[in-house]
Amino acid sequence: MTILKKIKNNLFLIIVVFVYLAIFIMKPTLGIDSVKGSAYYLKEMLMIMPVIFVLTALLDLWVPKEKIMQFLGKDSKAKGALLSFVIGSVSAGPIYAAFPMCVMLLHKGASIRNIIIILSSWSVIKIPMLINEFKFLGAEFMIIRWVLTIIAILIFSWITDRIVKTKDLPKDKLLTKGLSINKNACIGCGICANTYPQAFEMQGQKAVLVESDPSSLDKDKIEEAVDACPVNAIEYQE
Amino acid sequence: MDIFTILIWLVTLIFLGVSFVKDKEKTKQALKISFAMGKGMLPSILTIIFAVGLILTILPPADIATFVGKQHVLVATIAASIFGSITLIPAFIAFPIVGTLVGAGVGVVPSVAFLTTLTMVGFVTFPLEKKEFGTKFTLVRNGLSFVFAILIALGMGVII
Repeated sequence: MTILKKIKNNLFLIIVVFVYLAIFIMKPTLGIDSVKGSAYYLKEMLMIMPVIFVLTALLDLWVPKEKIMQFLGKDSKAKGALLSFVIGSVSAGPIYAAFPMCVMLLHKGASIRNIIIILSSWSVIKIPMLINEFKFLGAEFMIIRWVLTIIAILIFSWITDRIVKTKDLPKDKLLTKGLSINKNACIGCGICANTYPQAFEMQGQKAVLVESDPSSLDKDKIEEAVDACPVNAIEYQE
Repeated sequence: MDIFTILIWLVTLIFLGVSFVKDKEKTKQALKISFAMGKGMLPSILTIIFAVGLILTILPPADIATFVGKQHVLVATIAASIFGSITLIPAFIAFPIVGTLVGAGVGVVPSVAFLTTLTMVGFVTFPLEKKEFGTKFTLVRNGLSFVFAILIALGMGVII
């Protein structure tokens, strides 16, 4: 990876580091307050993220693709939407905690619409927060807000599904006919790239597909690489 | 730790135990995968956390509330939505803030716009979301969430 690309990929991180440096030089007290404020969110993150990662990996390995497609895929209709609302609203943690779970579900064939429902309800309709909302804003406020929010999510998840297609998602996360790598699962061991360098190469810590005409790939060698992968991150469908 | 976080831990630990009894290798693999996932996301998450800490120190929600409260309802609603989009606050902190807003006479519409954008739209999570779901998905989701946050708020204003 070139240096320029590295900067581009980590632009946000670099900006935050620079702003902190600038603040610590100009107004150290403000900097200390910011770090203290961040500590709270750090704690919040540590309480939920490890368990989300483990749960996502377990679901990824134990729940077959067909089940996810059946319950959350394109043809799951109202039941799928309802399940998505339930998943989102019983969850805990900020919206980014939903990302690994949603990526895994997308990869296994959940529809974009249902993923949007999970992400949105994960952020604004939370059953764990019911008591809080009731306490601070009252029952009437809460009920009306929930009903309106659910209607809004139903509408805009449908719109998103019309605009965003599977081909717009990052390549390695697609459920495509052919070959794909589950980037979340890949541990960067490099076995696939050694087994079949015409199809796989290493980019940083992850394996990626070599751009090529799919018909030119040797089926036996691909299957060899699929079997060799220690974490079953490579998927192949004929 | 709230009850739901504890519940998720419990369910996951039981799941992990069952998985271990059924298939040791697969469970090891799952832990490996989750570790790799965490390693991949950690820099982005830390960036988000420190950015939020910074933004909330420079722009405390209480100051935002005071500022928004002085504006005309329409201006207040748009301002509240923009402020809400910049920061990312967990819902259990957002509710007391919004409660204060409503109590201070800011009005239901800007308050709800603030609440919805606070949790659903995120400038700080944009880079991570883009990496995981692609640019188009992220733009459309955040854009529509922003628009519908205002619509939800207006709807609340009409009903209440």
